[in-house]
Amino acid sequence: MFNLIKKDLIIQKTQIILFIPLIIFLILFARDISPIFIFLVAGAYISANAYVYDGMVESNILLNSLPYTRKLIVTSRYIGAMVYMVLSMAMAGAVLYLFDYSYDMMDMAIAAGLFFIFAAIAFPLFYILKPAYIGVVMFIGMIALAIGFQPAARFLERNLITITDFITSLSTTMLYLSGAAIAIGLYLISWIISQFIYQRKVF
Amino acid sequence: MKNIVEFKNVTKCFKDFSLENINLQIKQGYVTGFVGANGAGKSTTMKLMMNLLQADTGEVKIFGMDYAGNEKEIKERMGFVYDSNVFYESLNLKDIRRIIAPAYKNWDDKTFYNYIKIFELPLNKAIKTFSKGMQMKASLAMALSHDAEFIMMDEPTAGLDPVFRRELLDILQEIMEDGRRTLFFSTHITSDLERIADYITFIQKGKILFNDSMQNVQDRYALVKGSIDLLNQDTEKLFIKTERSSYGFQALTNDAAEVKILLGDRVVVEEATLEDIMFYAKGAKHQNV
Repeated sequence: MFNLIKKDLIIQKTQIILFIPLIIFLILFARDISPIFIFLVAGAYISANAYVYDGMVESNILLNSLPYTRKLIVTSRYIGAMVYMVLSMAMAGAVLYLFDYSYDMMDMAIAAGLFFIFAAIAFPLFYILKPAYIGVVMFIGMIALAIGFQPAARFLERNLITITDFITSLSTTMLYLSGAAIAIGLYLISWIISQFIYQRKVF
Repeated sequence: MKNIVEFKNVTKCFKDFSLENINLQIKQGYVTGFVGANGAGKSTTMKLMMNLLQADTGEVKIFGMDYAGNEKEIKERMGFVYDSNVFYESLNLKDIRRIIAPAYKNWDDKTFYNYIKIFELPLNKAIKTFSKGMQMKASLAMALSHDAEFIMMDEPTAGLDPVFRRELLDILQEIMEDGRRTLFFSTHITSDLERIADYITFIQKGKILFNDSMQNVQDRYALVKGSIDLLNQDTEKLFIKTERSSYGFQALTNDAAEVKILLGDRVVVEEATLEDIMFYAKGAKHQNV
């Protein structure tokens, strides 16, 4: 499994060289953006790139012809994503610190949570769809979001008080803990779904 | 003689194509050629062999083992060469080696660099700049560096220039010398097989027509030429396909011995090449090849 995780670094040599300049670019030219966003971009960078490479049919044929099981390939992807997320966020944290960009651990934690949710949705989609269709799906998703936004906003408006009452009734720790539990829970469910899809995939 | 690969009644259906009831054995220590027209099911059969596809029904055994539970062990002992490049094309061979080598327990760097030298492959150039022949050599070097017992090659000679094709066949003959390896390769360039194959498996429209030794195929099949008046219901049964012209008939038989007994000197019996067999079998009315 270590080999499969390491593989992403070998493939992305050039992209990794661009990683630190990207963070510096965000710091210099987007001074007002939340550090959460920077951590999220950093955390997702390697995994998102890896999927672009491995989405190709040929790479799947290669990986599946080597002595790896399909289960191991998916497991490495999910564990690798966590490893790279932690490493990249730590690196981004160091760069932000050097540039005197203020952030706290909570920013990192929220970004990690968002990453888990993002990955939980995106990873199984990458296994179902061909890379060429991912753009189309994202576009449809955005339209759906735009159409769904108004009714959702109206719903929130009507029930906002109830919701805010409920949220404020929780303690901060409780709130973050449940947020973390939901994000990690979604990631685990997504892992199981991806296993199921990949076992049946035809190359 | 041990079978390295065994397919028992394997069926795999797709929307517009299916492999039906495939029975196939690949003998250990020999070169088996896999022939058939484009779209006959060669690649699908090979994918089933690599577990890239799973059979709907039937049994696929490699080294006497099922893929379920033995996938790693089987693939450790297998080498593969596909008809298109499967390596990350922006990487060079050095980096590809860094990805592939740790996957195999038996990987030997010395062997790898030795083959790179023999095959004259550049280590620092991206795979996408490689010619088809170089890509093929790279795949072969990988397969040989982990000492694969069974090497499966899908159309390795397609798209190669004649000089390199000869060179490749020599390389293949060389790697077969110690008798430990088994080679299975698909092609529609049948003359390649006549040079190096010991066994021939012939597939047509998703069905295996025969799976026999080269010697037997050459003994059994023949082209028969004679005058039309020799053709009647009984004699036509001997032929897979008969072509008539104003000069006489030309037909393919899979029972050359019987033809000689029945028709003797009245016909000319010529050796049939694999290409003849492929050509005649394609338009055959009855498929008792």
